Amino acid sequence: MTDQIAQESADPGVISEILEKNPELQGIGNYEYGWADKDVAGANARRGIDKDVVANISALKSEPEWMLDIRQKALKYFDRKPMPTWGPDLSGIDFDNIKYFVRSTEKQATSWEDLPEDIKNTYDKLGIPEAEKQALVSGVAAQYESEVVYHQLREDLERQGVIFLDTDTGLKEHPEIFQEYFGSVIPAGDNKFASLNTAAWSGGSFVYVPKGVHVEIPLQAYFRINTENMGQFERTLIIADEGSYVHYIEGCTAPVYKSDSLHSAVVEIIVKKNARVRYTTIQNWSNNVYNLVTKRAVCEEGATMEWVDGNIGSKVTMKYPAVYLVGEHAKGETLSIAFAGADQHQDTGSKMVHIAPNTSSAIVAKSVARNGGRSAYRGLVQVREGAKGTKNSVVCDALLVDQISRSDTYPYIDVREDDVTMGHEATVSRVSEEQLFYLQSRGLAEDEAMAMIVRGFVEPIARELPMEYALELNRLIELQMEGSVG
Amino acid sequence: MSETTTHIPEEKARIGAPSIPGFTEEGEDLSPINDNTSSPLGGSAAKAHSHGGGVGVPDSSRAGRLTSYNVDDFAKLTGREEDWRFTPLKRIKGLHTDELTGAAPKVELTGSDVVTLSEVPADDVLNGIAHTPDDRVSANGWKYATTSQVVTIPKNAEGEKATLRITGESLEAAAQHIIVVAEENSEATVVLDHVGSAVLAQNVEFDVRPNARLTVVSLQAWEDDSVHASSQQALVAAGASFKHVAVTFGGDLVRVNPSARFTGERAEVELYGLYFADAGQHLEHRLFVDHAVANCKSNVLYKGALQGKDAHTVWVGDVLIQKAAVGTDSYEANRNLVLTDGARADSVPNLEIETGLIDGAGHASTTGRFDDEHLFYLMARGIDEKTARRLVVRGFLNEIVQQIGDEALQERLTDTIESELAATDN
Repeated sequence: MTDQIAQESADPGVISEILEKNPELQGIGNYEYGWADKDVAGANARRGIDKDVVANISALKSEPEWMLDIRQKALKYFDRKPMPTWGPDLSGIDFDNIKYFVRSTEKQATSWEDLPEDIKNTYDKLGIPEAEKQALVSGVAAQYESEVVYHQLREDLERQGVIFLDTDTGLKEHPEIFQEYFGSVIPAGDNKFASLNTAAWSGGSFVYVPKGVHVEIPLQAYFRINTENMGQFERTLIIADEGSYVHYIEGCTAPVYKSDSLHSAVVEIIVKKNARVRYTTIQNWSNNVYNLVTKRAVCEEGATMEWVDGNIGSKVTMKYPAVYLVGEHAKGETLSIAFAGADQHQDTGSKMVHIAPNTSSAIVAKSVARNGGRSAYRGLVQVREGAKGTKNSVVCDALLVDQISRSDTYPYIDVREDDVTMGHEATVSRVSEEQLFYLQSRGLAEDEAMAMIVRGFVEPIARELPMEYALELNRLIELQMEGSVG
Repeated sequence: MSETTTHIPEEKARIGAPSIPGFTEEGEDLSPINDNTSSPLGGSAAKAHSHGGGVGVPDSSRAGRLTSYNVDDFAKLTGREEDWRFTPLKRIKGLHTDELTGAAPKVELTGSDVVTLSEVPADDVLNGIAHTPDDRVSANGWKYATTSQVVTIPKNAEGEKATLRITGESLEAAAQHIIVVAEENSEATVVLDHVGSAVLAQNVEFDVRPNARLTVVSLQAWEDDSVHASSQQALVAAGASFKHVAVTFGGDLVRVNPSARFTGERAEVELYGLYFADAGQHLEHRLFVDHAVANCKSNVLYKGALQGKDAHTVWVGDVLIQKAAVGTDSYEANRNLVLTDGARADSVPNLEIETGLIDGAGHASTTGRFDDEHLFYLMARGIDEKTARRLVVRGFLNEIVQQIGDEALQERLTDTIESELAATDN
C-alpha cells in the first residue's frame, strides 16, 4: 500500500481512524491490492488483436492445430459481432489498445521457491502462502499475467483422480477431454466477449472430478491482472462426472491503473448425472476494470449447479451466470450480490433455461447502490416446450441508501409450456429513518447502523459463503458503507 | 445424448459432452421470432449508435429511447431490436414500411351528451399535445394520419360515460389519430371499442388536465384477420388520476403500448390489462410509466390467459422513476395463466430507479397453470372439472374486469371470456 492508492478511497484520516479501531480491517484497507509491480513482462507485448496475434499466442503455447482453428474462427466472430448496446456503457473499451497475451515467466514453476522474486512479492501481498498453509485451502492455482505460474494440489486429491490444473497445462496433458468439452457449453460465437476470450484465452483453471468423488475442500484460484491495459482472458473448464461434488472458488483482485483494463473470462461447467457443483466468486477488481464475463453450466439428469456470485469491484461488470437444465430433475440455483459505489455499474443477474421436464431453478439477487453507483438485475428464465413440471422462483431485492444512486431490474420470463410454476418478485427499498433511529437509539453511530442494515440485507447470501469469504464480504461492506451517511 | 449431433453444425460429434438443444456455434438465437436471413448480425446493435440515445444509453433503458414525429429518424426495423424482437414483423402487414393510405376505421361516439367528438386537421395545435411517437410504426402512423379525432370531456363534467366505436372496414394498411382531452376537474369513462377488420397504425393521446379523473377502456375485439399497433400515451397533470384498462381478445397481431407520464405532483396512474390469446394469436402489451415528478403513485396489473398452439403473449412493463421523483409509490405486476401446451408467454417487468427517496417500488410476475388446489376445492363441492376450470379462469381474470366500472361492458367481457373458454373444450 505505497505509491498507488486507490482513487475511490475515502478521506485517509477517516480510514486510518477506522483501522485503528478495527485492526482486523488492516488486511483489506484502502484497496489493499492497489499497488502495481514494475511492468516488466508487459512492456513489450503487442497491442491489439488480429490473425497473427492469435496465431502467435497459439504457437507460443505449442497448441494442437484444432485449437488454433477454434481461436481463428472465434476471432472472425469477434470481428463480426457488434458491441452489445442493451446494457452498460462499454464505449470506454479500446480493443486496439489492449495487450492480448503477456507471458511473465518462461516455464511453469513447480514450487514456491522457483517463482521469480517480483511475482513472489505480489503473492506475498495477496497472502497466498498463508492461504496455502491453511488446511482449509487445497489447491491454489495462482494466475499471474495470463499464465498460471504456480500451482499445487494436495496429494490426496490427486490420489482420488481429481485433475486440477491451469487450463494451458490441462490442454497439453488431456487434449482428448478438451477436444470433447471445450466450447461445448459456450460456443466460439456465443457473444462478442466469449468470442474474444475463445480467440485470445490464456490461463484459467481446468478441473475434472471423477465419478462419485466428493472433493471435501473448496478448490481455490487467485487471479490477478498486473499489466497496464492488459486484458485477461482466462478460460475455466470444470467437468464433474456422475455423482461427484466439487466447490470451486474464484477470487479476484487487481492493482489500480490509470487507463481502463478489460477482463473477459469464460467459465464452462459440465455437471453430469447426479453430480453437484458449486462455484463461488467474489469479484473485487479495481474500479477501472471492465469485467465482462460469460459463465454457463449444463446440468444433466438429477444434477445440481449452484452459482454464488459476489460483485463488489470493477468499473463495469456484465455477468449473468447461466444454467441449462437439459436432464430431468436437474436443479439450478444462483445467489447473487452486487455493490455499486461511485462510478460503478454492476449489471448482473442470472439465466435459467429449462429444457427437460421436472427441472427447478431459483435465483436470489440482492444489490446495494450507493454514492452514485448503478446496480441492475438482468435475468432470463426460459421454459422451453416440453419442460413440464418446471418450477422457478426469482427474488430480487435492491437497497438504495442515498438519492443519487440507481437501481434497475430487467427480468425476462419466457414460458412455452403450461405445466409450470414461476414467480418473480422484486422490491426496491431505501434504508428507513425508523430502522436507523432504532439502531442509533441503541447507541450505534449512524454509519455503523447503516452498515448493520446492509449486512442484514445481504446476510442470506453471506451465509452461503465459506467463512473466510463471508468475513471478507462483511469487512468490505463496512468499508463500502463508511462515509455513506451525511 | 451422443446421437444428437445435428444441433452442433460444423462440429465433430462430441462423445459425452452435453448437447444443448437449440444451440449452434453462435450460441442460441435470442430472437427466433424474426428470422434473420439477411445477415447473421442484423439488428439495431449492428448499426450501433446510429440513432437514439447513442453511446452509453442502452436499448433497454426507457430513459434513452428515441422519440420523434419524423418516421425517417427511426432506423428500418429488422425485428432484432429490443422493443421489436418479440413481434413477428412478417405478420405486421407493412405497418412499419408501407404508405398507410387505406381508409381509417370509422368512428362514432355514443353514450353522452356532454362529451363531444370533432375532427381537426393534422396540423392542429392539439396534435402532439400528449404524444410523441417512440417507435417506427407509431411515427409512420403519425405521418399518414391526415386528420385527428378529438374527444373532449368538458370542464367539471361528472360521471360521464362515452363509447367511441372504432369500426374497421378494410384490410388496407391505414393510420389513425385520436386525441382525448379531459379538461380540468372533469370525471369520465371513455371506451375505445375496436371492432371489425383493420390493418392499423394508431396513435392515441390522452391529455389529462389538472384534477381530472379519466378512465379509458381500450377494447380490442377485432376480427381474426386484423393487425393493430396502437401507441397510447397520456400526460397526467397535478392532482389528476388516469386509469387505463387494455382489453385484448381479437386480432391476428395486436400490439398496444399504453404509457403515462406525470407532469404534476400528487397524480395517480393505474394501468390495467386483460388479454386472452388463442391459437396463432400474437397479443403484445408494452407499457411505460414515467415518474418524472415527485409524489405520484402508479399501479400496474395485467392478467392474461393463453390457450392453443402458438398463442403468444408478450408483456413488457417499464417503470422509470427519475431523480426528481422523490416520494414515488409504484408497483407493477403481470400474471399469466397458460391453459394448454404450445402457448408462449413472455413477461418482462422492468424497473429503473434513479433515486433512493421513494416510498416504495416493486414488481412481480408469475406464470403458471391452474391452481390445482382451487380446482380440487371446487370439485370437492360437486362441481365437474370442466366447470371448475372455467370458474378458476373467470375468477383469475375478473379482478381486471371489475376495474372497468361499466356493467354492460363488464357483462360483455365476461361473455367473451366464456366463449373463449368454451372454445378450449373442443
